[in-house]
Amino acid sequence: MSSDFEPILMRNVGVAKAADLQVYEARGGYQGIRKALQMSPEELIDEVKKANLRGRGGAGFPAGMKWSFLPKERKVTYLCVNADESEPPTFNNRVLMESDPHQLLEGIMIAGYATRATVAYIYMRGEFTEPFHILQRALNQAYAAGYFGKKILGSDFSMECYIHRGAGAYVCGEETGLIESLEGKRGWPRIKPPFPAVAGLFAKPTVVNNVETLCCLPHIVLRGAAWFTAIGPQGSFGPKLFCVSGPVNRPGCFEESMNITVKDLIYGSKFAQGMIGNKAVKGVFPGGLSMGVLTGDELEMRMDFDSPRKFGLLGLGTAALVVFNEDTDIRDVLLNVTRFYAMESCGQCTQCREGTGWMYKIAQRISLGAGRREDLDILVETTRNMGMMPGLSICGLPDGAAFPIRTLVEKFRAEFEQHIVRQEPGKVERVLRVLN
Amino acid sequence: MVLQAALEAGMDIPHYCYHPSLSVVASCRLCLMEMKVPDPKSGELVWMPKLVPSCQTPVKEGMEVRFNSPAVQQNQQQCMEYFLLNHPLDCPVCDQAGECYLQDYSYRFGQPTSRMVEEKLKNPKKDVGPRTLLYQDRCVMCSRCVRFTDEIAGTHELTVVNRGNRAEIDVFPGLPLNNPLQGNVVDLCPVGSLLDKDFLFKQRVWLLRETKSICPGCSTGCAIRIDHNEGVIYRLKPRFSPKVNDYWMCDEGRFGWKYLQDGDRLTRPVVRRGGEVFYPRWEDIPEIINYRLRKLAEQQTPTAVVLSPMLACEEAWLIASYVRALLPQAVLVASWLPVQGAEQNFPVGSPAEKARFTIRPEKCPNRRGVELLINKLGGASSTLEDLIKQVKEKKIKAAWITGGYSQRDWVSKELAAAAKELELLVMQDLYANALTDNSHVLLPSCCWAEREGSFVNQAGLIQPFERAVDGPEGTRRDGQYLYEIAGYSGLYRAEKVRERMAEQLAEFRDIYVAPDPPEHQH
Amino acid sequence: MSWKAYDRNQPVMDPQAPPVLTEAVREKIRSFFPRYETKRAVLLPALHIVQELLGYVSYQAMKEIADLLEIHASDVLDVVSFYTHFANHPKGRKTVMVCRSLSCELMGGKAVLEAVKNTLQIQEHGTSTDGQYFLVTEECLAECDHAPCLKINERTYHQVKATDVSRILADEKNAELSIARSSLFDPPGH
Repeated sequence: MSSDFEPILMRNVGVAKAADLQVYEARGGYQGIRKALQMSPEELIDEVKKANLRGRGGAGFPAGMKWSFLPKERKVTYLCVNADESEPPTFNNRVLMESDPHQLLEGIMIAGYATRATVAYIYMRGEFTEPFHILQRALNQAYAAGYFGKKILGSDFSMECYIHRGAGAYVCGEETGLIESLEGKRGWPRIKPPFPAVAGLFAKPTVVNNVETLCCLPHIVLRGAAWFTAIGPQGSFGPKLFCVSGPVNRPGCFEESMNITVKDLIYGSKFAQGMIGNKAVKGVFPGGLSMGVLTGDELEMRMDFDSPRKFGLLGLGTAALVVFNEDTDIRDVLLNVTRFYAMESCGQCTQCREGTGWMYKIAQRISLGAGRREDLDILVETTRNMGMMPGLSICGLPDGAAFPIRTLVEKFRAEFEQHIVRQEPGKVERVLRVLN
Repeated sequence: MVLQAALEAGMDIPHYCYHPSLSVVASCRLCLMEMKVPDPKSGELVWMPKLVPSCQTPVKEGMEVRFNSPAVQQNQQQCMEYFLLNHPLDCPVCDQAGECYLQDYSYRFGQPTSRMVEEKLKNPKKDVGPRTLLYQDRCVMCSRCVRFTDEIAGTHELTVVNRGNRAEIDVFPGLPLNNPLQGNVVDLCPVGSLLDKDFLFKQRVWLLRETKSICPGCSTGCAIRIDHNEGVIYRLKPRFSPKVNDYWMCDEGRFGWKYLQDGDRLTRPVVRRGGEVFYPRWEDIPEIINYRLRKLAEQQTPTAVVLSPMLACEEAWLIASYVRALLPQAVLVASWLPVQGAEQNFPVGSPAEKARFTIRPEKCPNRRGVELLINKLGGASSTLEDLIKQVKEKKIKAAWITGGYSQRDWVSKELAAAAKELELLVMQDLYANALTDNSHVLLPSCCWAEREGSFVNQAGLIQPFERAVDGPEGTRRDGQYLYEIAGYSGLYRAEKVRERMAEQLAEFRDIYVAPDPPEHQH
Repeated sequence: MSWKAYDRNQPVMDPQAPPVLTEAVREKIRSFFPRYETKRAVLLPALHIVQELLGYVSYQAMKEIADLLEIHASDVLDVVSFYTHFANHPKGRKTVMVCRSLSCELMGGKAVLEAVKNTLQIQEHGTSTDGQYFLVTEECLAECDHAPCLKINERTYHQVKATDVSRILADEKNAELSIARSSLFDPPGH
């Protein structure tokens, strides 16, 4: 366990008035953009590629590579900042924006310079109210200090930056859903190709980057790619924020390298400090709900981009852990998870629209103590139809719905079956009569 | 796109959201296929583990795809179960039954039972427009109708509201689906969700017989299909015609045919002589006409033939060439032209050259055909206005006038007054009017759906149409009696007459018949 | 259940009714135009402003926004119905959003929701009889480290206990923020 890890992204968290421009500047802020402006955009992209900065939003796609997909010849480029952090139970972007908004703004400037963006839109989920006011205030300060607008810091680089507020839709965190929403439409993800890098916002070349990804940029520029790749395991370089919530002693957002394991995050003294009342861990969703669930026996999993696959999970996701303890009824977990996807499915693709709704209905019945064995099979089969075979739908939401539900049913099948066995006879029919 | 190519190759690939004339959304996920891609390491072509939508994948040289693999078939089967999860299965009372792609695809690609035991979502039917009903719970959310109002009509009335499995189609309250092309959304709907109020509960579709026709509503000349049973027309549907109307037709044409089923059509020939009225048998008509016209020829009476733009080319040719044979000096006149309103281009507001559909102000099917014929036959010709003058000045003393308009008031006062001056008026029309009342020989006409022939549309395409139903009892098809008057015997066949006509007038040789779309495309 | 919220039974707009958007509000909405390539992109900002102004987005307001942005009213309805934060029906001025993400539920969120329902005597999507409060559930407020939590308009309450609920709801100033607010999406004069 790397006890020598020094927080970088969260270095200003807890510092008084860190959201103020002067404090941020006094603590070394806005030096990254100054250094970046001395480099050419190509050099900057190379540096980020060398750092192998993988997107922190969920998919882990290398940011430098994403930028290099932009067509060579282009007049207008848009940068969309994905601050639609809606994956339960993820809150690292909120922490970053609330505690250190200028770090994000500096990251936006660097990404904007690297991609020659003309306008940056920060797409912020509607639920973020306090973070919006904090970030907007910081943005006003940054504009006043000449960090945005025309000829930034005396260079030839000009970029505007606006905050665009969402209004309650998980799917707008998908990059093309976000773009549609920015264009004033319902957040129905687009079919690809064309990819946003070629024809995104207003059909112009567009880059969509996550808040945490952008927050890494000032540090990569200042300290160099080698510093970044010295942190963490192969393929998962750099500092990472981990959110821990659920019945743990110290829920919160923690920064570490991706060498850390689930167990350390739950039990480490610098982290969540164990379970409330020393209860046993029954399971953990280690990467936001959508990545799937681990049982209490799988806590050795390393929280990097590649390990989760070995445990049947979709990926690292948002690296937000929610832990549930031995007292939790697994049926309640299933109900909560299925409900989330049923509520948030956008309704465009058949499998997702109908599948999420059906699974929620089944989970409701199971949670009322009226499950059937075949329900478990239907749940698994439905998740396979939705997302286990990637590509069945336009966006990744159904994959994200499939993994937690399938892994829950498969990994906790014995418990579900116990409940079914213990049911009084005729319960299914009675509950159906009431429900219908 | 691969889907279109597969359909054109005759394959039955299930699909809902894809339509060749609408944008691709790839949301129904029914047409997914397997595709080979180069292996990143070896470069060898291997089957990709994920399925891809064939509607969204362009065809490339050397590409390899398949639809018959277990993964593809399983996806189709699952999708069909999902589509029916909240569907009320009310086929017995659904108009779409029999031409429903939920039925067809469930049968061909689906599974016989649904495993959902919970109650289905209920969704009431909605009155979305003056002509259209929306049965939301039958909807598969393909969004074709929404895209139609956005992309073709340009009127945007229909939209998706809500999300997830509560998503539905709706209109803004107070702004109903009310564009002149709205009937097309019913055709586009692959299931029984959008239904035509006019056709609602009128007829089970499997009883209907289909006849290929051309819409006579305006000079666009849309390719259409007449759906009828036992001599009664129930509805018109557009046929695919890439050069003319694509997949669409307007409501004016779609619902504008009702006049032909009005009860007051002219049904029997009438002869008037010196205040006396006779009702001859149809069999005697050729002789009566021949007698009358030969007399005109003997007396060298100046005669005019007024050809209606409602006539088929073949019929106009039969009349003109017959009269000219007896009276070579006969003046050929193009009859009254129904013109109404301005050209309407769609999407609304688009310029004519970018229009994807146009409703034309000329409300008749064959002005160009009649004009072409008059030009090519040569000799004396005139306009209707001049004709009226000439009749008043006694320069024309006999006329054969054809009508056939749906507009009952087509006869102007001047024309009616002039007609009284004529020594002989042979009149062909649908309804009684000032001309028919004063005619010496009255020949009841049939409607376009009761006849066969060809129309020349505004772009000059010669488009044949077939007969769907018989006229009211007592009537005879115009072509048939004209054929007999012209001295032919046997059954009138427009095609035969067209051949003869084309021998004389080469312009009528090349007809345009729209190709049938692939069998499994919808 | 929380599929919201598009109420088809709202009265159809009266074409004779006077406009609900004042010129100042229109000007505020227009001030967003330079930010985007299309006017339609101003739809979400416009809806935020109008909802703040009226408490909800009426059909009349949708039509006026549509005219202002040069789009069809049905496109506005589409967007209003898609996003859970917009309501097309009148509702209480203070919206109580109770989070029911897994974290909050594990930490007692259900009891908090029950307490809110009992205190206000309303169900989800209901408005209290005094017209003050409107209750919705949220799938995740991204405050999981402070679970269970709820929001009253813009203000977030952390680690709420069911026993705290009546005190929080009784506080007149319970929707006021302690931090500096940006008025970017506020209607003029608010």
